[in-house]
Amino acid sequence: MILPLVPFLLLSFAAILHAKSSTGDSVLVVLEPSLDQNFSVFFDGLRARGYDLTFRAPKALTPAIIKDDVPSFSHVILFAPETKSFAQDISPQSLVQLLSLRTNLLIALSQKQTPLSSLAAEFSLVLPPPGTPVISHFPERDTPASIFPVDVSASNPILSSTKAPVWYSGISHSLGNNPLLVPILRAPVESFATDSSDDSGAPSIADAAEKGGEGLWAGGNMGLVTGFQATNGARITWVGGVSVFSDEFANKEVIKGKPSGNAAFSQDVAAWTFQETLVLRIDETTHHKVNETTPLSQYTTNDVVTYTAHISGWDSGKATWLPYSGLKDIQLEFTMLDPHVRTALPPVKGSPGTYSTTFRVPDRHGVFKFVIDYKRKGLTALQSSTTVPVVPPRHDGYPRFLSAAWPYYVGAISTSIGFILFSTIWLGGDVREMKKGKTSKTE
Amino acid sequence: MSTAYPLPSGLSPATVTNTASLIRIVTLALISGAAIASRLFAVINFESIIHEFDPWFNFRATKVLASQGFYEFWNWFDPTAWYPLGRVVGGTIYPGLMATSGVIYNILHALNLPVDIRNICVLLAPGFSALTAWATYMFTKELKDESAGLLAAAFIGIAPGYISRSVAGSYDNEAIAIFLLMFTFYCWIKALKQGSAFFGMLAGVFYFYMVAAWGGYAFITNMIPLHALTLILMGRFTSRLYVGYSSWYAIGTLASMQVPFVGFQPVKTSEHMAALGVFGLLQIIAFAQLVRSHLSSKQFQNLLFVAVIGSGILGSLAIVGLTYKGWIAPWTGRFYSLWDTGYAKKYIPIIASVSEHQPTAWPSFFMDLQLLMFLFPAGVFLCFKQLRDEHVFVIIYAVVGSYFAGVMVRLMLTLTPVVCVSAAVALSTLLDTYIDPVEPLVPEEAAPPASGDDSTTTSASGSKKAKKPAAGPSEPTTAQSTPKPRSRPGIFGLDARLVVIFNAFGMLSFFVFHCTWVTSNAYSSPSVVLASANPDGSQHIIDDFREAYYWLRQNTPETSVVMSWWDYGYQIAGMADRPTLVDNNTWNNTHIATVGKAMSSTEEVAYPILRKHDVDYVLVIFGGLIGYSGDDINKFLWMVRIAQGVWPDEIQEPNYFTPHGEYRVDDQASTTMKNSLMYKMSYYRFAELFGGGQAMDRVRNQAMPKQGPTLDYLDEAFTSENWIVRIFQVKKEDLLGRDLKSANAFSQGKKRKRSKPTTRRRAMV
Repeated sequence: MILPLVPFLLLSFAAILHAKSSTGDSVLVVLEPSLDQNFSVFFDGLRARGYDLTFRAPKALTPAIIKDDVPSFSHVILFAPETKSFAQDISPQSLVQLLSLRTNLLIALSQKQTPLSSLAAEFSLVLPPPGTPVISHFPERDTPASIFPVDVSASNPILSSTKAPVWYSGISHSLGNNPLLVPILRAPVESFATDSSDDSGAPSIADAAEKGGEGLWAGGNMGLVTGFQATNGARITWVGGVSVFSDEFANKEVIKGKPSGNAAFSQDVAAWTFQETLVLRIDETTHHKVNETTPLSQYTTNDVVTYTAHISGWDSGKATWLPYSGLKDIQLEFTMLDPHVRTALPPVKGSPGTYSTTFRVPDRHGVFKFVIDYKRKGLTALQSSTTVPVVPPRHDGYPRFLSAAWPYYVGAISTSIGFILFSTIWLGGDVREMKKGKTSKTE
Repeated sequence: MSTAYPLPSGLSPATVTNTASLIRIVTLALISGAAIASRLFAVINFESIIHEFDPWFNFRATKVLASQGFYEFWNWFDPTAWYPLGRVVGGTIYPGLMATSGVIYNILHALNLPVDIRNICVLLAPGFSALTAWATYMFTKELKDESAGLLAAAFIGIAPGYISRSVAGSYDNEAIAIFLLMFTFYCWIKALKQGSAFFGMLAGVFYFYMVAAWGGYAFITNMIPLHALTLILMGRFTSRLYVGYSSWYAIGTLASMQVPFVGFQPVKTSEHMAALGVFGLLQIIAFAQLVRSHLSSKQFQNLLFVAVIGSGILGSLAIVGLTYKGWIAPWTGRFYSLWDTGYAKKYIPIIASVSEHQPTAWPSFFMDLQLLMFLFPAGVFLCFKQLRDEHVFVIIYAVVGSYFAGVMVRLMLTLTPVVCVSAAVALSTLLDTYIDPVEPLVPEEAAPPASGDDSTTTSASGSKKAKKPAAGPSEPTTAQSTPKPRSRPGIFGLDARLVVIFNAFGMLSFFVFHCTWVTSNAYSSPSVVLASANPDGSQHIIDDFREAYYWLRQNTPETSVVMSWWDYGYQIAGMADRPTLVDNNTWNNTHIATVGKAMSSTEEVAYPILRKHDVDYVLVIFGGLIGYSGDDINKFLWMVRIAQGVWPDEIQEPNYFTPHGEYRVDDQASTTMKNSLMYKMSYYRFAELFGGGQAMDRVRNQAMPKQGPTLDYLDEAFTSENWIVRIFQVKKEDLLGRDLKSANAFSQGKKRKRSKPTTRRRAMV
């Protein structure tokens, strides 16, 4: 389902220089002064794409990330993986509040226990014990085991412009079963987390792995870089090691003569996190009876109803919302407690961004909802709910003559005719006969 | 002849008749005035407001009818009731009440009297009580004479048993139904006495009005056939009975089927089968009489024998067969509960949970009827003495009415008219005997004084020239031509008369005092507004309900769904104008049980139910602070029982009791009780109110623990002044997809327990 997106994404990256986020351009970078790495490639890349970067130290008081419950920046980058104590305004709670106010976050972790690593647990990320970096001995190379290249999945729409393997150094994390998680970079299958950088602990790790219980921090199921899309659409990305974004890794070659993918990877991750890519929205939904145009405030059972949704995608190249017809698997539900109708909502040919379907309202009165609930990993969740009552036919809305009722009609008509006949005969009959009857009665 | 006191002489009979009828009219007008006035306590003590629960729906429906017209009302689908099922209002109500108010409203507006629809609704019941007094007068007049009629009218006008359902603001179906009941009965008696198709038709028309107005029409549907059947069994089949019954049944049934809510029930349900059966029986008997008049008696006897056996077998087989096939619906649960008072509690807790469906307590008979209760048997006895057709009716009515009133509190209402009628008969007989100025004669002189047919003059104020009517008004009836006694028993002297009469008037005035007291103290509370007394004796109004409902109306989006126990559904819809899950029209037991389940489960279980039903606010009634005993915690066991009926595996009543079987809310309460949503909402932050002191629940008189319950899935949104109404907002799903409990713990800064990665060994093997 992601594949149809690719042309759209390519389009958006064509004009990468003028890229803008759908939610704003101001970025606060909280940068740890003690970091000995340089991120100029990453930051220059962001600036080149139109972002407005502000820097502050973790313990600095200004600029505040949130002021009077209003976020001061559209996006926050937290490159402070080893800071144990932040200024007052940066706490796990305030970061979640930022998310609830639709600010996007990019957070780097380290192997040290910090407030941020305890925050990760709220996002269903399970971090390894402190001091256990992920290492890999494959492929054979001249770097330490804790620095290794990771192949990027070509099918991941978030990393569409990353072509080469990415250098990685840091920790891995295990992913919980939260459906809002969006894995971006998985650990290589040969990697594992260990508390010593040499291999002296290897047998115990192997033992632990055999038992399959605690200490199993190994394999391709671990995540290295993981995104998370909150229910309100705000995005947050957790990075296991800040050095992925560093100049050093960006310039370090994986194979002789070929640059690593880190530079492109960092931009891809930032673009997704800052809601540049894979951002959709429902502009408008309408409903009306088929062959009519005005929406009714209520429908009658068994009406045939047309439902139309207009969906746009954010085009970061043009910095505008454009109609988007690329979704092929949207469904519409007509729900009262349970879906009574669930049908495909296909795009309309020749009318970009329009999705429409026509269906018969069930023979059941009640308060129904037109529901679109489209959730795909990496994409903005599309949700829409329109309440509309479905009522039984009006008293004059039923067929006038029913074939099943003919016995009643015949009964009524025959009784009427019989009554008239009887009255006529009775009134117009011979009076003497009546008298005869009377006399016989008295006998 | 000798009289006990002097009578005015020289009055022409015409003067006497005219004066008597003038006094009658004036008296009736005064009675009507008293009936209306005594129902206005509620308006004077409180305000012109709709009372209780059901009237709020009727009021709301009337507003729709008045503003949008009858057809829109008929087709009204209410999407805000029983959310999300909705309610087809036009097809599920008895529209008589609303139609009546609508007609009055339109007439007044056509006369350029811009009366507010609310005032019409509030004053409809008192207005109709005046008509009831008149109908009772007419009915009793048929039974005895005008003086008894006036007494009966006065009784029904102020009897608390009827006032309880018809004070100003009590805008319920019963308000007009009792008038229709009495008038239908009057028409029926009249039709039966005269063999008049006109009065039979009139009975049918008013029966239709009754069907359109109240579900209790089944009482008429069964009373009249029962009366007819009894008359047949007594050998009193006459062509008058035939004509009266047939015209009533044919017109009444056809008309009643025009009410959408009734539809084909008159030919399909067991409750109506008696009427149909007696109708058939009358045809057979009439036919048999016709045949007998044409055949010799021997032939006829053979024919009769075969026919009776044959039709009996065929008829019962047909009814059994049709019931078995499902063409005739068996008795409904509400009907069974009339026979077996324990039935409802066992099988349909939703019916048993209504307080007015409980068996009547003995004191409430005295409370509602006082003096009449003692006169009632005497009146029935006097009916036995005469035993004309209409007296048989009263006797049957008395027996049936007494039984039903004993089974269900609310059916006291149907008993009250017959009690008033028989008490009036008894009392007026007493007064007739003692006011009669004629001294008993020596046996030889025998002949009773004056003419026998001046019954019209005997009535009126009673103290006028009154005569013993024993020989009086019964000329048209064939039933009991009592031979005039040779020597009439009577009273000698004025002293004996005065003792009894003063005594009787003393009792009557006590009755008036009692009725006034009961009406003003017990039956005139709107229950929407509560009254209490300040230390200095002045009245203090507790207006929490309206405070909370108006809060909802003004602070929440119009589409936000409010969940509460069904008792408050109509009020929320009427006053807060918000969609409700369940209301007092308890047609869907499962939906009510769903609410019961949500209320009696833990937050974690209740939350998905709330979200599935789009609930935004939950409203609970809590009386623990000021001692309002009708609160939700006291009703809670019914919620549990009703939920248990549908989900016996998840909700079990014993879990809500302490191990000793007590129903407690303090720190000894069972864990299930403490974790239930209802308990948590009721006592949320209750202990804080006492500022560290001992928190007391004043309804249950139990000391509450210092550490009150906590809520994770709901937020307190509003609590009224006296804490009677508490409204909680249902939280949306967590931003991060967590359960709200851990989300809450996080935002309060609690540390989460370290978790471990899930093992995925299967993938490795």
